[in-house]
Parts: sequence; structure tokens; C-alpha cells
Amino acid sequence: MAEKKKVIKRLKTMYPLRGLVDKMFEKAVEYSHEGKPVAWCMVNWWGGDSLLRAMDVACIYPEDYGAVCAAAGVAQTYLERCNSDGFPDHICGYARNCLGYASLMKAQGGIPAGAPMGGMPKPSLLVGSGYFCDTRFKWFQALGRYMDAPLWLLEMPHPGVPESLGKDSEKYIIRFMVEELKKFVAFLERSLGKKMDWDRLDEIVSDTIEMNRVWWEVNELRKVKPCPVHSRDFWSCMPAALYQAGDPKETTILYKNMYDEVKGMIDRGEAAVPNEKFRLAFAELPPWHSLGFFDNLAERGWNCVVESWAYHPPQFIDLSQYKDPLERVARHTFQYFAGFFKHAHEAGEELGYFGYPYIEYVKNYKCDGFLAHPLLTCRTATNHLMYVQDRLMQKLKVPSLFMEGDIIDYTLFNPDEVLRKADAFEEAMLHYRDVRKKEGLDW
Amino acid sequence: MSEHNLKGIAKAQKIYSDRSQRVKELKVAGAQILGYMCIYPVVEIISSFDLVPYRIFGSIEEPITKADNCLPTCVCPFLRSALDLGLKGKYDFLDGVVMAHPCEVAEKLAHIWRTYMDPVYSFYIDTPHATREAAIEYHKESLKDFQKSLEVFLGKGASSEKLKKTIEDYNEQRALVRELYDLKKPDPPLISGVETIEVLESLMSIPVKEGNELIRDVIEEIKERRGGPAKGARVLIWGSIIDSIAVVKLIEDLGANVVMDDTCVGSRFFFPDVETTGDPLDKLARRYLVDLKCPRTFIESGIEAGKKDYAEDLALRFGYLGDYVKQWNIKGVVLYALRFCDTHAYEVVSVKDYLSSLGIPSIYLEHDYSATSLSPLKTRVQAFLETLGY
Repeated sequence: MAEKKKVIKRLKTMYPLRGLVDKMFEKAVEYSHEGKPVAWCMVNWWGGDSLLRAMDVACIYPEDYGAVCAAAGVAQTYLERCNSDGFPDHICGYARNCLGYASLMKAQGGIPAGAPMGGMPKPSLLVGSGYFCDTRFKWFQALGRYMDAPLWLLEMPHPGVPESLGKDSEKYIIRFMVEELKKFVAFLERSLGKKMDWDRLDEIVSDTIEMNRVWWEVNELRKVKPCPVHSRDFWSCMPAALYQAGDPKETTILYKNMYDEVKGMIDRGEAAVPNEKFRLAFAELPPWHSLGFFDNLAERGWNCVVESWAYHPPQFIDLSQYKDPLERVARHTFQYFAGFFKHAHEAGEELGYFGYPYIEYVKNYKCDGFLAHPLLTCRTATNHLMYVQDRLMQKLKVPSLFMEGDIIDYTLFNPDEVLRKADAFEEAMLHYRDVRKKEGLDW
Repeated sequence: MSEHNLKGIAKAQKIYSDRSQRVKELKVAGAQILGYMCIYPVVEIISSFDLVPYRIFGSIEEPITKADNCLPTCVCPFLRSALDLGLKGKYDFLDGVVMAHPCEVAEKLAHIWRTYMDPVYSFYIDTPHATREAAIEYHKESLKDFQKSLEVFLGKGASSEKLKKTIEDYNEQRALVRELYDLKKPDPPLISGVETIEVLESLMSIPVKEGNELIRDVIEEIKERRGGPAKGARVLIWGSIIDSIAVVKLIEDLGANVVMDDTCVGSRFFFPDVETTGDPLDKLARRYLVDLKCPRTFIESGIEAGKKDYAEDLALRFGYLGDYVKQWNIKGVVLYALRFCDTHAYEVVSVKDYLSSLGIPSIYLEHDYSATSLSPLKTRVQAFLETLGY
């Protein structure tokens, strides 16, 4: 593998945001020791997190823990355990990591020895989600073999672009989401033996929406040339918002600090990558075990300026007119899901999420290339990539580079192979700059 | 004998061997054909507008070439194959398509299909994973939108009476299919697993009333014929889509009888009826969302008790398999999943656990949906049948 050099300039304000993830796992262990409720959750794009926090449940995310295990180099043990229990090896790497972990947890009667970050304590609740990915509830259903925690499925509609724009569509979509949330509240109250604190929920929901607004503003700043925030910083601090890793009011302050730092860098003309030659959009999940590889690319002047649609906050919309916090939760999450749909429809495009957003990203962030990371074990992060590649070339004359790998299993990623393709890809990016100019595109 | 004079099994085999021939004839005569993917697009609504529903399948015989530019190799090979056939013009006779959300890849495919195939008409029916009342209500609203889109496309209104009548036609077909499966209960069964697939795929390739006539003839023929399948290990096959006879033939050529199935070309699609009283859209929403037992739908357990009991959870999710085991006197189960089919892959260990609790042995086979990779499966099935004492 190529020598690792730290070329990417990291944001100072990223570190406290990244640190919230550690605290999130520590809190869960503390809660477990104190006999307080702990939930294992699937990422649900704020569709259920606020309700859990308002009920004082410590939430941890086995998806995130998969990345932690991969980065700590212990995932292989859990993957092998999962295989030996009979699960097919092509299912999600995060899921295999977690199923293997849970199997060991059952065998050892507690947090498996050597589990990183203090481990994930036994959950009182499992909160799966039906968002985008079948794995997000099938994996938790499969956990029933190892634990007796009840499983709730948070549901979200997935209408197509034209179907979402029907006369009454939004009305019945939001009604469905709100009704589902009411049932979730009832489930929580029954399971936890206490009532929802509606005032607290109202406050958390407002804080969460504000947190995402500020985080969205930070990402808007990245449109400038040269870009001061590399994707590595995005990935490091996205869990703070995506998982509501800390108190959203306090997290908002940390994102505001980041906004100030980034604004200062822009004023001083500073970039995340010295001598930014190529601006790239990255999709979807990075190789968590090999993040240093992006320094090798940065050395060549490649700056990843936008990434991972699924993990970006929604474009801000004012929801203050909706007094019911459940309706604000529903509308905020649906805005995340369908925020690009209207534009996609106007542009005659399909795949309003996972697909079309990259067209806007590449155009607005003036990207030279699309760097795609297809994952052998993840349909969600992979099945649209060739489509996006094609649409970007058809609509915007922007070329793509595919680097195959996996989020957990480092044996599936070959960085040298990517570097071997880099020269040719740079030539393609330069070529298409000329093509775009000829076609009247402005970058 | 002219193919129009064929009846029963021979006719089904003819249709199976050239599935689109009949709908192409109907199209020449003025009918409009609507393709649908998987079991969630509501065929009753399609037929109630006098459209002919035609199920879209892939082909394990045809190498995937064109779809490689649209879908990566690490997603469901069946869906890639279906798109591949579409891109090669094999579905050009369709006047439109209806797709749903059976899994995340099929859901994406619905949108990708629209981009690359540019059908004159298309609709995507969102299908929740949950089965709570709000989800059923949402599904019903989606079905209303589907109806409205067909009204716009065809320039004519939906008829509740027509829909009710069409539901009755399909329920009649479902009753006939169940009757056909009853003929698989004796030992040996009166009809083979291969013949069953040929008949059922035929039903998904012709108008419902023609299908009902066909299956009535098949049942009559089967009851009277001599020289059906010989005795052998009684096997149930569970899993992902099996739209070719090849896999079942492989098992039956080894001396077993596939007397029952739980796949979306077999009992999973045909067994549940639609209730005929009340609002038809409401009943359709419930039938498709709740009654179809596909792993893509979430069945909750332990919610009221606050604690999940694994054995109870398995019984709730797979109890119907236990009934099949008893009624069809099953000796072993083949779990068959396509590589990269997540919804089934996650289920494999649980289904095995459930079957073990019943004392029923099982084997898991993973297939890449190509005819050339069947041989290794044959060796494994042979070994499995030996463990069953055959």
C-alpha cells in the first residue's frame, strides 16, 4: 500500500463533534450499569431519536459501532463468528459485525472481551427502521436469536418522484408518519413504564431541527473554491447530527463553532487540500478501515468537497407553524427524504433520493469527478451508483471513478489499484472540463 | 395438434415455453398489456381496467450483458436479468409497467426502469414494511393513486363493481390453485413440482379468465391421468423467486418430489384470497400488505409483552410453514436464496431454527441465477437427499 502522509488539513472544531460518539457509547454503558434503558437503534434520520431521548433512553447505533470495530481492527472476529452461525457472507458488513458481536455476547454473558470503546451493552429495546434499506429491520429481526429485547420498526414512506407530487400525496404521507409515531410513543410508554415528556420532546425536536440547519449551513460553505472542508471532516462529525450523539442544543453550538472556523478559512483563502486541482463528489460510505488513503489522493490535489447524500442534513424548511412535535418530526424527516423531488421532477429525473441529489451536488459544488465506492455487501450504498455515473455524464459531462471495497472488510479494498487508475482519471477530468465549457456549463 | 387446440398441462407447457406469445396475440387484437414486477402490484386493479397483467421475469439462460451498465453485479441477479431482458427489447410489447417496493433493489429498479425503458405508462406503488393500521391506510391511498393514474392513462373511470367482479375472478383462480396443490398431498403426488411451475407461470402470462379455464382443465387432467410422479422424498422449497423450472427439475431428477413451496411464483402469491365484503381497496390493501407472507414485510412480536420470545417469534413468522409440513407430509426443506437477496438471506438462520424445532432437516442453497452454475447445487441436494434416507 502507498505510504500514508497526512495531507488533508483537518478542522479543529471537528474534534469535539467527533468526540460525541465516544460519549454516546460511554453513556450507554453507564445507563446499563444504572439499570436505565438502552436502545440499539438503526439510523432513522431523526424519525425516532428525539422520542427516545425525550424518554431518557440511551441510544447507540450498531451501524456506527461497525465502523468503530473496523477502525479498531477487531471486526474480523465478529465477522467470522457471524459466518459460523450460518448467515450468508454477502449480507451487510455492519450487520455481520453486529450479529457476530451479539452471538459472542450471548456466549460470554455480557459485553465480549476486547470490545472497542467499552462495547455495546445489552439493549432493553431494539429500534429498527424501514428507511431505504431492508437490512435495517431484517438484521434486528435476526438478533432475536441472541437477545429478548422487543423490536420496533420505525416506518417511512418511499414514494417515487411523480407519485409523491400527487394532489393529496403529502397529506396522507405525513398523516401516515404521524400515526406511526403515535404508536411508537405508546410502545415506549408501555415498555418503559412511564409517560412521554411532551415538553421535553418539543424542545428536543426544535433543537434537532436547528442543529441540522446549522450543519446544513456549514456544508453550504463548502461550495467555495478552494473548499475548506474535506469529506473526512464531514464523516468525522456527521454522527453528531445523524445519530443525535449528544444533546442537540450543545451540538448546535459545536456546529456553529465549525461554521465560524470554516468562514474564517474562506476569508483567508485556506483549503482542506493544498493546491486543490480536482474537486470530487464521493458516494456513499467510505472504507472506514483505510481513511488515510484519502491523504494519498489529496497529495495529488484531489479534494472531496461533497459526499454521501444519505448522511447530509436536509435543506432547512421552517416548521415552526406546526405545533405538534410529532408532525414536526415527520415533516423534517420527510423533507430529508424528498427535499430534492420537486427539482428532480422539473429536471425530468428519477431517483429523487440517492440519485438526483448528486446531479445538484456536482453542479453546485463544481465537481470535476464522481468518486464512487461500491460495496460488495451493501445494496443501499451501491445499487444506484452506476445510474448516477450515467446521469452525471449524460447531464453534466462529469466522469466517474469506481473504487470497489467494503466498509468493514479491508481485504476487499485495494488502494493501489485505485492509485493506478488515478492518472487516467485525471486526464478524463481535464478532458471533460473542456467538454463542459464547449457545452456552456460553467465549470 | 394446433396450439389453440392444446389443453391442460400441454397447453401450460406451451405457454411456459413462450410466455409472451398469447399476450402478443391479444395485443394485435387490441388489448393493452401492463407488465408488473414481483407480487405486490395489484393485478386486480390492472384487470379491472381491461388491461392484461403480465408478470415480468428474468431468464437464467440468458447472460446479463446490457444491464451491467445500469445495475452493479452485487445486487439481485434476478432483477438485473429482468432489466437486461427489457434493455434487449424482450418487453417491448408492454404498454406500460407497474412496480412496487418488494425490496430496496426492486424499488430502485422501478425508477431506473423508467429512466432507461421510458415506458408510455408507469406507476410505482409504495409498499410499507409495517402492517399496522396506519400502514394499511397509507397503502390504500397509494392504490387509489394507482387507480387515478390508470384513469388518466386510459381516459376512463374506475368502476367499483368491476373491481369487485375482478377480485372474484382472481379469488376463483386462487381457489383453483389451492385445489391443484391439494393434488400434491398424496404420496406420490399427482402433479410434479416442475409441472406446477409451468402451470403457475402460465397463469401470470394470460388474462385471468383464460387462466381459470386452463387450471380447471389441468386439475381435471391430473385427477384422471396415470403415470404421474413416482414416490420419492417429499420436499418443500422455500426462498427467493424461482421463475425457471431448472432448480425444481434438478431436485426432482434426483428422485425427490417438490410437493410444496413457499416462493413468490408459487403458494406465496396464490394462496391468500381477497375478502369480498366491504371497500375493495381496503381489502386489497390488507391482502397485499398483511396476508402475503414475504420476508420483506415486518411481522412484529413481543411488543405488548415488552420482551421477545424467540420460539414465539419464529412460530408467528413461520407457523404457516409448520402447517405446510404437516399437511403435505414434508420430510426435508430446501432453502433457496439468490445471492445478494438480502430479505431472504437474513431469514435463512431463523427458518432453519424453526424447522429444526419441528425436527425437519433443511439445506441452504445459494444461487447466482444462472443455468451454468446449477451443477454444484445438484451435488449438495444429492447429499441432502441421502441424509433423508433416499
